[in-house]
Amino acid sequence: MLKGKVALVTGSSRGIGRAIALKLAEQGADVIINFFRRRQAAEQTAKDVESLGVTAKVIKANVGDPEKIDEMFDIISSSFGRLDIFINNAASGLPRSALDLDTKGWDWTMDINAKAFLLCTQRAVKLMEGRGGKIVTISSLGSYLVLPGYVAIGVSKAALEALTRYLAIELAPKGICVNTVAASLVPTETGMLYARGGQQEESSPWQTTPAGRLVAPEDVANVVAFLCSEEAFMIRGQIIIVDGGTSLVPFSLMSKGG
Amino acid sequence: MSATEETIKDTIVKIVHCDREILTPTATFQDMKADSLDMVQVLVALEDEFGIEIPDEDAQKFQNFGDFVAYVEARVAEKGSA
Repeated sequence: MLKGKVALVTGSSRGIGRAIALKLAEQGADVIINFFRRRQAAEQTAKDVESLGVTAKVIKANVGDPEKIDEMFDIISSSFGRLDIFINNAASGLPRSALDLDTKGWDWTMDINAKAFLLCTQRAVKLMEGRGGKIVTISSLGSYLVLPGYVAIGVSKAALEALTRYLAIELAPKGICVNTVAASLVPTETGMLYARGGQQEESSPWQTTPAGRLVAPEDVANVVAFLCSEEAFMIRGQIIIVDGGTSLVPFSLMSKGG
Repeated sequence: MSATEETIKDTIVKIVHCDREILTPTATFQDMKADSLDMVQVLVALEDEFGIEIPDEDAQKFQNFGDFVAYVEARVAEKGSA
């Protein structure tokens, strides 16, 4: 389905990004695995992608740094000469309340989570020009729900979602589809840290969803893969929520064990 | 004290805003009162400064400042001999 396509997934050494990289590879896409801090994990994802019979390329880049974004796209440009799919998944942030946030934490979060989406898209579009493409960014319920210690990330995700709408319209004439997938808690290493409000030991109040279990990385990856398919051609600038119904039932966020 | 250690100290003091005097070989990151963002920014700054890579898989093993300096010095030496 995606055979011959070239996909970049930022932050794909582990968690949701890794699941997306594997899903796109399973569908035949060559995958560029971007990572920032976990080299061994990224190499493992690349190995697993290659075992699906496609090409994998690992590129280290802190997407919070515009120079590093340029270097990454220079490598993509010289290695592949084109890009068909760009998945903006990399994210970072510190669990803090609004009054405890300093400019360093705010800027760090905004740069990696929101600004990178704009800057990477600007470069990605040049590699999609004339052929169209698919761009999907990953958000969370924290863009509009108030979650403990999540303010900077929540605001950055709200920026991502707004940017999705603007980009979808601006890029529509180029045949480029832009959408967002927003998930509730996905119990990855990072997800669990935020679910505990930044505490290492406390248990998470997120135990399940109305659908009977938490959202898995693969649930997010499946929707991303659909948005990258031609069947999703007429979906533009939308925020697709993958939460097992959680956001429709506020009580489900408060009850332990659902 | 090596030039590498001096640079590491400069970088930590600049980013974490701790006293340079506390950076002894046995000092822990808790002693520096560095949060996880401080530490990532120190690692990234040193990667750029020395042109080396310090992945989290390795950084998580550092017990104290001494381990950290030894690791960076080894990476810098490897790079020099490559």
